[in-house]
Amino acid sequence: MSKKILLEKANVENIQTMEVYRREGGYRSLEKALKMAPNDIVEEVKRSGLRGRGGAGFPTGLKWSFLAKPEGVERYLVCNADESEPGTFKDRYLMEFLPHLLIEGMIVSSFAVGSNVSYIYIRGEYEWVTDILDAAIDEARKAGFLGKNILGSGFDCEIYIHRGAGAYICGEETGLLESLEGKRGLPRIKPPFPAVKGLWDCPTVVNNVETIASVVSIINEGGDAYARIGVGKSTGTKLISACGNINKPGVYEIDMTISVEEFIYSDEYCGGIANGKKLKACVPGGSSVPILPASLLLTTAKGEKRLMNYESLSDGGFATGSMMGSGGFEVLDEDQCIVRHTLSLARFYHHESCGQCSPCREGTGWMEKILQKIEHGKGEMKDIDLLWDIQRKIEGNTICPLGEAAAWPVAAAIRHFRDEFEWHILNPKECLVRNYGLGKYAEALITS
Amino acid sequence: MEFSNDSLKKVHELISHYPEGKQKSALLPILHIAQKEFDGWLDVPVMDYVASILNIEPIEVYEVATFYSMFNLKPVGKYVFEVCQTGPCMVKGSDDIISYIKEKLDISVGETTPDGLFTLKTVECLGACGYAPMMQLGKTYREHLSKEKVDAIIAECKN
Amino acid sequence: MAEEQKIFKVTIDNITIDVPAGTTILNAARKIGGEVAPPAMCYYSKLKGSGGKCRTCLVEVVSGSTVDPRPMPKLVASCRTNVMDGMVVKNITSEKVIDVRKGVVEFLLINHPLDCPVCDQAGECHLQDLTYSHGAEQTRYEFERRTFVREDIGDYIQLHMTRCILCYRCIYVADQLTNKRVHGILDRGDKSEISTYISKAIENDFSGNMIDVCPVGALTDRTFRFKNRVWFLKPVDAHRDCDKCHGQVTLWNRGDEVFRVTARKDEWGEVQTLSDGKPGWICNTCRFEKKHASDWVIEGPTKINRHSVISQGHYVGNVGMIMPPDPLDKVLFGRQPHLLLDIHDVSKVNQLEVHLSELEGPAVSNTFNGDPHASGHNVTDVKEGV
Repeated sequence: MSKKILLEKANVENIQTMEVYRREGGYRSLEKALKMAPNDIVEEVKRSGLRGRGGAGFPTGLKWSFLAKPEGVERYLVCNADESEPGTFKDRYLMEFLPHLLIEGMIVSSFAVGSNVSYIYIRGEYEWVTDILDAAIDEARKAGFLGKNILGSGFDCEIYIHRGAGAYICGEETGLLESLEGKRGLPRIKPPFPAVKGLWDCPTVVNNVETIASVVSIINEGGDAYARIGVGKSTGTKLISACGNINKPGVYEIDMTISVEEFIYSDEYCGGIANGKKLKACVPGGSSVPILPASLLLTTAKGEKRLMNYESLSDGGFATGSMMGSGGFEVLDEDQCIVRHTLSLARFYHHESCGQCSPCREGTGWMEKILQKIEHGKGEMKDIDLLWDIQRKIEGNTICPLGEAAAWPVAAAIRHFRDEFEWHILNPKECLVRNYGLGKYAEALITS
Repeated sequence: MEFSNDSLKKVHELISHYPEGKQKSALLPILHIAQKEFDGWLDVPVMDYVASILNIEPIEVYEVATFYSMFNLKPVGKYVFEVCQTGPCMVKGSDDIISYIKEKLDISVGETTPDGLFTLKTVECLGACGYAPMMQLGKTYREHLSKEKVDAIIAECKN
Repeated sequence: MAEEQKIFKVTIDNITIDVPAGTTILNAARKIGGEVAPPAMCYYSKLKGSGGKCRTCLVEVVSGSTVDPRPMPKLVASCRTNVMDGMVVKNITSEKVIDVRKGVVEFLLINHPLDCPVCDQAGECHLQDLTYSHGAEQTRYEFERRTFVREDIGDYIQLHMTRCILCYRCIYVADQLTNKRVHGILDRGDKSEISTYISKAIENDFSGNMIDVCPVGALTDRTFRFKNRVWFLKPVDAHRDCDKCHGQVTLWNRGDEVFRVTARKDEWGEVQTLSDGKPGWICNTCRFEKKHASDWVIEGPTKINRHSVISQGHYVGNVGMIMPPDPLDKVLFGRQPHLLLDIHDVSKVNQLEVHLSELEGPAVSNTFNGDPHASGHNVTDVKEGV
């Protein structure tokens, strides 16, 4: 059983209330942190090895230490709760069941970076979660954890929730800041980075929900204790939201030493593939990361067991590996059609492209149209190469990472499942029948 | 055209969340309130009214309202079924659910039933992938959808 | 406290120059000039905040600086990236840049109507120039193109959104030159459009500058619409006393008839910087209402790059004031045809009453380049089965 840091108390009845949360030891980290120097908190987080849980995996302590601190200029902490990467629903779970954990982490982090007004940018569709967080903030204010001179420390802090309104691009930190300023969520051209010029041109740190919640345990138990969990540079625990054709979809907290095989097949986690089917493929870190066929998912190209951590999931680069990403773990069984699945993701990125820069604006729609054509039995062989070339010309050439996010799923699908695309083109009638899958990718595996 | 007193209070509270002179930041939250108060969609006079409250040009509101998918720029039914169709929902059969709703309500995606009760929209990932297939209905998510569940939801709305 | 301006050394395509710190790669390259300067479709040096969007000016930074000589992992937008001391940049000497730029041109063109034959911008269109210099011979796009309905935004400007490449320059003009912006970018992704949302007129003394900054034929001068082709006109510099602007313009004449008035442009196609260092934006009165030669004091012929199609309309003698002899007699060897060719019979594209969206999709280029009998695929073919 993995050690739980974040979700340990998730099942305690009424943990959403201040009373129960306090009884369970809540807000201890705040009491401790306010007695520390802000820089020592940053050092503690650096020592923990905590990496950003939103998808990029950038070391959090380092990000905090980059924050510019010009005299007389406000600094801001913004929590990115715009969870919209397909396959990812861990932040929602955390906020819904443990709202005070996020608020506690927010106050501690605000103190560390010197933010007196902090914002939680939550995706607009999570309206009921907003209510839960609002209630938690009210309770925290009444308890004296928010407001002026918190616990006599002289530190003032307010937290406000800002609801988005349906735009994946606002998960990109500068798109988020634009949206928070009441504008269209168009990502900014970097540099300058938010650490220098962020919200209203002030130095700003943007962190994911899970990242901020993890700070609580780092302060309580110490950065070294956090760093002892996990392996290598994958320290601490990670929330994985598992979905797709598995027996037990849901949010799991893992320490990053377990194998992918164990995660999929053990009853503690996904409980195996649903309906007695075989595993065909998996998108292990949110829809943007490369899809892997079963064989490469469970073992690396070197033949080693693949583990659920940053290094192991990306072992082999994009040729034979993928990424940890946001922890959105989507499993496809032998009946699933890769072309159809790729089309659905291409449609998603086309829909979500902000339209600011030309490769993404024009390229995402083009890729979707070609995939529609192949999916509907009208494809030609040259279309596969064309798709490859389009994704190649988008990747790396856009203002923000949405370009890559749109390009990678298409590239990986062609890289690993090219013959399935070819089959579609050669069998225009059969491919219209749903749930086609090339059985050879699926492998029966027995849990060890 | 004016907000109710309650809404107006909320609007001013929202504006106070942002530094002076940065009142435009409250645009998204205020448009949510406006959409709720004025029949579930944002007509031009509504957007112009919001612009006047925030002391910004109307075009700044139009630009924002058209960017975000949650804002309706046309009238919608009393109940809007927003069914997710992205990858994780798709592998769990969201296409079948969408077809079933179309058949039950006899409308296409984007349309409203003649009685003005239901609108069907397809949306992209709503962050409920583990509970797929799903849809958003008002404030809440309806998850693990099946044909029976869809029937029950339609019946619930009609009552 | 006056800080001494630091000077950085930067090498672009093997040419090294010194520029003040804070200069962008693009502006450093423009100092070198010629082909070393990357093309720019959205950046406009006189408009604050512009640039970074079109991605045509991407360059490869093979060495970041003397201090940190590592290469940059991705191509960077040269218009928005500042040079560092010792930076080494590759523009046309980088195969990667050329390849990616070709891709960007293709992206910009897949939804462009290619209606140059009826577009007023033809001959001075930056997208045309870009396509000739950096584009591929033919497109691989075979789907229906995005179209919008033409719209008059006020008495002077027509918006032809179908041609727009979303450079955002006109938005910056409205923000920075006029007191009130009524048009903006609506919707998102490839549905984005320039619009007023509720057909409003743009009425402002300086709104006409949106036409000058538009790199394509999306915003055109209604007082000049279909009046003449720019290469048949002779540009001359002229001025008048104006109480709204500096009154320094370029007149586009044929004989003594003034067809249109624009701001003066520099070698990068931008509005010229005046002697006082300010951009030479002109007011709507000068641009739209002074169409008589007598309104102006003629200074002399405008310098035009000899590679430009506009330089073909070269006049001899009394500059701009004498109509050249009609060449028709000469080319027809004295024959007197009743009618040369009714262009409206040739293509529906030329029929104004037919909206572009009603036309069949543009033919795949192999219709033009390869087998002349090959039929192009368009979306209709796809639906019915290829």
